[in-house]
Amino acid sequence: MKYETVIGLEVHVELATESKIFCSCSAHSYGSEPNEHVCPACCGMPGMLPVVNKRVVDFGMKAGMMLNCHINRVTTFDKKSYYYPDLPAAYQTTQWFAPVAVNGLVEIETSKGKKNVRIKQIHMEEDAGKLVHDIREDTTHVDFNRTSVPLIEIVSQPDLSSAEEVEVYLDRLKNLLRFAKVAECEMAHGTMRCDVNLSVRPEGSDKYGVRTEMKNMNSIEAIKRAIEYETARHIDAIENGTEVLVQETRRWDDIKGKSYAMRTKETAGDYRYFPDPNVMPVVIDDEWFDSIQDSLPEFPEVKRDRYINEYGLSEYDADQITKSIALCECFEEAYSVCKSAKDAANWIISEIMSILNKRMITYDMLKINAHALGELILLVSDGKVGRANAKKVLSDMFDDLTIDPLKYCEANGYIVSNDTGLVEKVVAEAIANDPKAVADYKGGKEKALMSIYGKCMKELKGNCDPQMLRTILIDAINKI
Amino acid sequence: MDKDTFRRLELLNQLKLTETEKADAFAFFGSREKERLALDKIDTSSVERMVHVMPIMTVVREDVAVQKFSREALQQGAPETDEGYWCVPRVVE
Ligand SMILES: [Zn+2]
Repeated sequence: MKYETVIGLEVHVELATESKIFCSCSAHSYGSEPNEHVCPACCGMPGMLPVVNKRVVDFGMKAGMMLNCHINRVTTFDKKSYYYPDLPAAYQTTQWFAPVAVNGLVEIETSKGKKNVRIKQIHMEEDAGKLVHDIREDTTHVDFNRTSVPLIEIVSQPDLSSAEEVEVYLDRLKNLLRFAKVAECEMAHGTMRCDVNLSVRPEGSDKYGVRTEMKNMNSIEAIKRAIEYETARHIDAIENGTEVLVQETRRWDDIKGKSYAMRTKETAGDYRYFPDPNVMPVVIDDEWFDSIQDSLPEFPEVKRDRYINEYGLSEYDADQITKSIALCECFEEAYSVCKSAKDAANWIISEIMSILNKRMITYDMLKINAHALGELILLVSDGKVGRANAKKVLSDMFDDLTIDPLKYCEANGYIVSNDTGLVEKVVAEAIANDPKAVADYKGGKEKALMSIYGKCMKELKGNCDPQMLRTILIDAINKI
Repeated sequence: MDKDTFRRLELLNQLKLTETEKADAFAFFGSREKERLALDKIDTSSVERMVHVMPIMTVVREDVAVQKFSREALQQGAPETDEGYWCVPRVVE
């Protein structure tokens, strides 16, 4: 029998705000001492009242709009009770009854074509603290820096059916949320985490099989492996009766490549959700709603089409640049200076992206003075600076955002010389030093010319207009 | 309410009731159940959904980070701290 996998995802995304969701403590604790960003509110001390961070609601709405959701204009917070030391108040303030956004739709495209993934809801909530178990054997150490850091949870309907679709869907979410600048969405940094709900059923059946959930997955590769493993395990259980499937939460051990039962899945009732009496409803009036709608970015595919139609970029170039909002911004700014979309795209794709890859920086983390990049591109296209030297300047521009390309090139002797006398002298020496290459070229070997050309360019430290050097070189050889 | 649900709530709330207390509580929940069923019979389809009992809305604050409290002050009442952490009895999943 053929089976199909049915997958729904719960994606937790840390919002890029300055402060926490219900108090003014900093939301950025990376590299901080434990419990440096805490206050009585996020430590769950009695009597403290939460005050909602407006930007969290802004971002919740924005995410909802990016994912084609209906925005609940009255949205409320609820208490989800569970008892664990990472949760100082013994409840998490989240949204259960009226989440900020519901009924969305995300279009994905895989090798099998286009498909819509329905979004059940997006709710805003607070993160839990961090437990450290390996400092001492007798106690668990608790750090509340992360407590109350704002999250949104994006809950999809069970519309995904393969590891490939899950990967594409997560990429799409990332791309949309990063374009809207509401979140970093970097699994490796813990700013995006994922719970995978999975079941298996005979192909074409309209009944769901027994569902298992794998919590807190934090790498796409692990998610793909886990999906493949769980699918096989479910099919094996159904076909061969190797085990009885039960609805449960499982832990994925990526090193062993296996999933393990954790605890029986709590039903919603176990969390005793009830309206949080300490946070009044958030009412989103027209003015607020419109201001967020007006602030939505151009969608990635709209940008892509515009780059092709307006700027004449190739589909490939447009696809590459619209992978990241940071690349788009860099492109648009550089283009506004150098006025050549093709050149700007070329420098970003062949130089900037490769520097980022080499330095293992994600595209979204690109920090460069794009205006200066535009100036550098102009210097090259005007023949004032050689491409090889310009690449060196670009690399230095990553480390120093204040570099003025023209001044920097002048200071470092990168300005192309118009001194034809010097070039002729260098060419004459190179020809004299390599009679074999000259003979080879005359004998029809085009490559031999490049070897002499390279030596000349090296001697000139790259400061020569390539076309000029080529012309002088060929002239000189022809005269022999 | 059935016995299983009752037992589950007991565990969840970390309660240990005597047989008499159990019987009392069970009878209490049973009577509430009747009220709930009675409420369920009322047709509310034309009534606008109430998201909150009070006709008031929350105030929001601007997203500005301020550190008003020191760790030392907050940890004054802690039974045990270590290297800036709160210490609790070891939890193992
Ligand atoms: Zn706080």
